[in-house]
Amino acid sequence: MTAWKDSAGGRRVMAVLSSRPFLTVAIVAAVWIAASFASRGFGAYGHLRYLVELGAVIGLVAAGQTFVVIAGGIDLSVAAIVTVSAISLPLLSWGADPTGLAPVLAVLALTTIIGLVNGLGVALLRVHPMIMTLAMATFLQGLLIIIAGGSAVTAENPLVHWLGNARPAGIPAGVLLWVAVSVIVLTVMHATPFGARIFAMGANPLAAALSGVPVTPTTLAVYGISGFTSGLAGVLVLGMNGQGYVGIGDPYLLASIAAVVLGGTSILGGLGTYAGTIPGAILLVTITALITVVNASPGWRSILFGSLILGLLLLSGREQARR
Amino acid sequence: MAPLLAARGVSKAFFGNPVLRDVSIALRPGRVHALLGENGAGKSTLINLLSGALRPDGGTIEVDGREVSRMTPVHARQAGIAVVQQELSLTASLSIAENIGLGAYPKRFGLVDYRELAARAKAACELVGLHEPLSTPVGQLPLGRRQMVEIAKALYRKPRVLILDEPTSSLSATETKILTDLLERLRGEGIAILYISHRLNEVMTLCQHVTVLKDGTCTADQSLEGTDAAGLVRLMVGRDPGDLFPQWRPSASPATAISVRNFSAGLMHDVDLDIRTGEVLGIGGLVGQGQEDLLLGLYGAIPARTASATVNGASGLPGGVPKANALGLAYVPADRKREGLHLIHTITTNMMLPAFARLPALKLRSRRAERETARGLAAQLGIKGDLARQAQALSGGNQQKVALAKWMPHDPLVLLLNDPTRGVDVETKREIYLMLRAFAAAGKAVVLLSSDTPELVHLCERVAVVRDGRIAAMLDRAALSEEAIVSAAMGAENRKVAA
Repeated sequence: MTAWKDSAGGRRVMAVLSSRPFLTVAIVAAVWIAASFASRGFGAYGHLRYLVELGAVIGLVAAGQTFVVIAGGIDLSVAAIVTVSAISLPLLSWGADPTGLAPVLAVLALTTIIGLVNGLGVALLRVHPMIMTLAMATFLQGLLIIIAGGSAVTAENPLVHWLGNARPAGIPAGVLLWVAVSVIVLTVMHATPFGARIFAMGANPLAAALSGVPVTPTTLAVYGISGFTSGLAGVLVLGMNGQGYVGIGDPYLLASIAAVVLGGTSILGGLGTYAGTIPGAILLVTITALITVVNASPGWRSILFGSLILGLLLLSGREQARR
Repeated sequence: MAPLLAARGVSKAFFGNPVLRDVSIALRPGRVHALLGENGAGKSTLINLLSGALRPDGGTIEVDGREVSRMTPVHARQAGIAVVQQELSLTASLSIAENIGLGAYPKRFGLVDYRELAARAKAACELVGLHEPLSTPVGQLPLGRRQMVEIAKALYRKPRVLILDEPTSSLSATETKILTDLLERLRGEGIAILYISHRLNEVMTLCQHVTVLKDGTCTADQSLEGTDAAGLVRLMVGRDPGDLFPQWRPSASPATAISVRNFSAGLMHDVDLDIRTGEVLGIGGLVGQGQEDLLLGLYGAIPARTASATVNGASGLPGGVPKANALGLAYVPADRKREGLHLIHTITTNMMLPAFARLPALKLRSRRAERETARGLAAQLGIKGDLARQAQALSGGNQQKVALAKWMPHDPLVLLLNDPTRGVDVETKREIYLMLRAFAAAGKAVVLLSSDTPELVHLCERVAVVRDGRIAAMLDRAALSEEAIVSAAMGAENRKVAA
């Protein structure tokens, strides 16, 4: 047994088994198995597929958030950006475009620019990321209220509708989108110099700068990515929902940060992986589903949700103090 | 007369690295006692032992001739020991009066008695010639005035023993005069004073007794009468270099790698400097005179201005680290934990970082090629063990090797080194020295900032000695000696130590 553990392959297996992403996957599996015994219908294929579909929205928002957190920052404007995306898309009605692609690209460009502005504030004006993105969120919220008011806007965009409702080969289009984004994110994060720069900046910004890492462009890129993936999540949630309204993105702020941290990424930056964020996002929607099953009132649902996230983080997410 | 405060045979080590070995010192009433020593000789550690901030590993601390088994800062304060720290310990947002009284506010009905505080703080301020309104936030004062607040803060506590750690390094001539007059008066009142300064002229006029520390041991404990500045310098630096340093062979060529005119960055100003290819150019001087800003300014890490500059054939300063790297400059920082390494990342990742910084952002990495590069560097520099470990698992010497190694694949033309052997064991020091000379012999330029004077003497073609943000002296190989560097650094008259 010990000989097996000491072999090179054995060590690699042990490393995977004791890694945080794997731990999060294990918790998700345990919760699913337990819940499907406790509640009829929970373990049905349709229900699990629905959970993953819901997880896709969190997963997209958390993709950008993972980049930002690994780089040593935090993006508190993701929820507002999701809402911006979901509200401005229906407003951009371009009858000339039968596919609906042009408005989607325009909205994604807009949200990416919002992210870049966050990056400018953080990198050039040296505003703390928390302040910068929180101010951005507040600014956007005000703008949205002025533009959209209290009314919901309906999307009549074929691409968005397809994304939210189609199931090619039985798999929801949103989930396929999430898979594609995940592949790209994991490649960029772990297999390119850009990814390595982000880890270096998060672990020690000063040493990274002195090693020649172009800190300003990299910071801009990271927040730009966060704006982009939040915008993508907004498009998806609009498609699933059919309507956009002020506040539609609100649940995704805490969810995106929780998914990142549950997945083992250090909130201090410099360590982590999107491979952990993915099960982290699914774990979050699973918890939400469980709470719904319990049939509690909305107030109690929130209290349960918050407590469970805190409990899970205490269980697995506490970090060692850094020297 | 018993000494008010004394250390008997004290020793102290940090992480197994001895800083003080069997040092004794006795502070007597009515005497100004000078404590001299080079950077890193153990002066600050000795002060911390005397004031209870640190506890000795061996030996005893005595107050009024009685041994104190567990000296703490509180005991020290109760015994009337006050320390004026070199690193200013004031709170910028609090007023002068609040800073002076901090921790010892007069109370009335459990509340701070501000009237009483103001009266007592005013008395202390008058002693040091501080006439600013007492409600001025300390953050608004220039450095020299803050130092005076620091001294007033010590006087407020009515000390019997006053320890001053380089009090005049940020003072103007007038302020220095006020201070020396004050110390003279306090001495007359029977206070014991320990005075640390790098300004030998001050020491000669003010002090009666001197203790000299060198590499953590006491090399002199004697009356200052009949001693001259040259004698003090010799006591501080005289040591046997042994065979720590490689054989020195000239390798400088007339070609310049970097040339700047009228260069300013941070504390440095009006610098004219030519760095030749094939030389090791030393940067010496007391700590914090601006040497680091010179390196960082050349490297583009802090803003710099210059009338004209040529860097490896390109005109103008690089203006940014990535551009400096592209021009063939590399920088190895002094504080490797904070500035040099990513402690939570693997050794391999640390070694590859400069490559990641300059490769196309989205090119696919090859983990296998990275591992091979890192293995090659580790073999070349003698770094042993698993390279997939975190960098924090390495010893100080090996960490420094990693900080150097990461630049090697890029074949830099100019290597800027900021105190590369600080806190490094002797064997690694030797390896680093060999590497630097080999580097110069290969026709590259090395700029070696060092607080270790022998290092400068034995490795460098030339040494620029920095004082007050200027190059105070440029010493050629022929004129290079520890005495010459130390006296130029302290602004002692050159003719006094010409030997």
